[in-house]
Amino acid sequence: MTVTEQDLQVFINAVKNISAYDFTEYSEKSLMRRLEKVLSDNQMELHEFIKKLTQDSIFLEKTVKDITVNTTELFRDPVAWHMLKYQVIPALSSRDVINIWHAGCSTGQEVYSMLILLCEMNLFDKSNIYATDINTDVIEASKKGIYKYRFNLGYLDNFDKVLKENPNNPGEIKDVSYSKYFEINKVKDIITMNKFLINKPIYKKHDLVRDPNPFEVVYDLILCRNVIIYFNYNLQNKVFGLFYNNLSMDGSLLLGMHESMLGPISSRFEKKAQLYTKSKKFNPV
Amino acid sequence: MHKAIIIGGSAGSFQVVLRVLGNIPKNYPMPLFLCLHRLKHVREGFVEALSIKSSIPVVEPNDKDLIKPGIAYLAPSNYHMYIEPDYRIALSTEEPVNHSRPSIDISFTSAAYTYKSDLIGIILSGANKDGSLGLKAVADQGGITIVQDPIECQIRTMTESSIKTAKVDYIFSTDQIINFLGKLK
Repeated sequence: MTVTEQDLQVFINAVKNISAYDFTEYSEKSLMRRLEKVLSDNQMELHEFIKKLTQDSIFLEKTVKDITVNTTELFRDPVAWHMLKYQVIPALSSRDVINIWHAGCSTGQEVYSMLILLCEMNLFDKSNIYATDINTDVIEASKKGIYKYRFNLGYLDNFDKVLKENPNNPGEIKDVSYSKYFEINKVKDIITMNKFLINKPIYKKHDLVRDPNPFEVVYDLILCRNVIIYFNYNLQNKVFGLFYNNLSMDGSLLLGMHESMLGPISSRFEKKAQLYTKSKKFNPV
Repeated sequence: MHKAIIIGGSAGSFQVVLRVLGNIPKNYPMPLFLCLHRLKHVREGFVEALSIKSSIPVVEPNDKDLIKPGIAYLAPSNYHMYIEPDYRIALSTEEPVNHSRPSIDISFTSAAYTYKSDLIGIILSGANKDGSLGLKAVADQGGITIVQDPIECQIRTMTESSIKTAKVDYIFSTDQIINFLGKLK
């Protein structure tokens, strides 16, 4: 089923008229493709689909969930986690409290990775973990902390790379047990996070497009990885503004491996790979 | 006027891509998009390997990078690469298509939509059917479609499937592809 530019506009306008969701500034081609997929999964023509959207708010919520993308892994991109482990988090360790926001937490793998890392660095107790997503289904999945095992063997490789190996000293292997953090059940083919990890984060539904800071705190670290790729250039810059305004001084924003800040606001951050730090140098009092 | 070239390849295409990049004129007047399947663990080193031989810069773009002529944009490992109508790259981590991420169909279809008849699509050697619908989209938008001669391909599945699915303008050997691209202005 092919979706034209006009079809996409019809969909965007309909959603905007009947709800608070706004897809106007999403990346056009990927949104078109998502809409094609949703139409084909529902076996519906556009007019019929729009009609159902306007009449059935549950169907609308489901559609928003289906349109947005949820891909994540435990310790996805070990290089980024090395940066967190050896540079970013040590620089925050002397603070009384460390506030971390996972913006677009999806099914929670990144949240659990952070919890495990903080535990390994003895910073678990003084950290507050906030996690948000536009999709309440993935938030519920995150709260459960249960993942497929065999399909996700890469998780353990990533875990080893980040927590057992030392990139600065090849050959050094630290003994870190999986069972301290999760239980692997090969019969049921699942990984279940341990309770003390599951109970820690504070979750909230949040739409980066329109909602203000979801929690009444400033953040020392914001992780927003592979989320803004679904937004166009203008919307990305608005979201960067939201992050900037709610970061503490010397706090940092970590983006995905192929994301970068291209707008004027980038001049207020110190950039190192995908890490953007709100440094004093660029923000004189 | 915007013009662009897009190349899709899978198993058996690496040496062909190396030769094409090595023979492309310097300061090439248009962008070149590369959507190549690679093994999941070959995340690093690929762009470097292509860069060594290439006469134009090869980059794995960031999301929303503005597209410039004379640059080869390689779809990053584990991302789909869209070519957006505002002439920016858009990346995505949505599910693999035809077991592939990047998907050649996604890159070709979005590039065809953006560049319309000003696009040249080329399908090289490969072991699956990804790219066939993408090449058809290029043809449907009035662009030029080229397929590497299956006789020359290490694995013919992808080229043969493209020839069946899309209206193909030229079936070329690697030398003919190089020659064709060298003459474009």
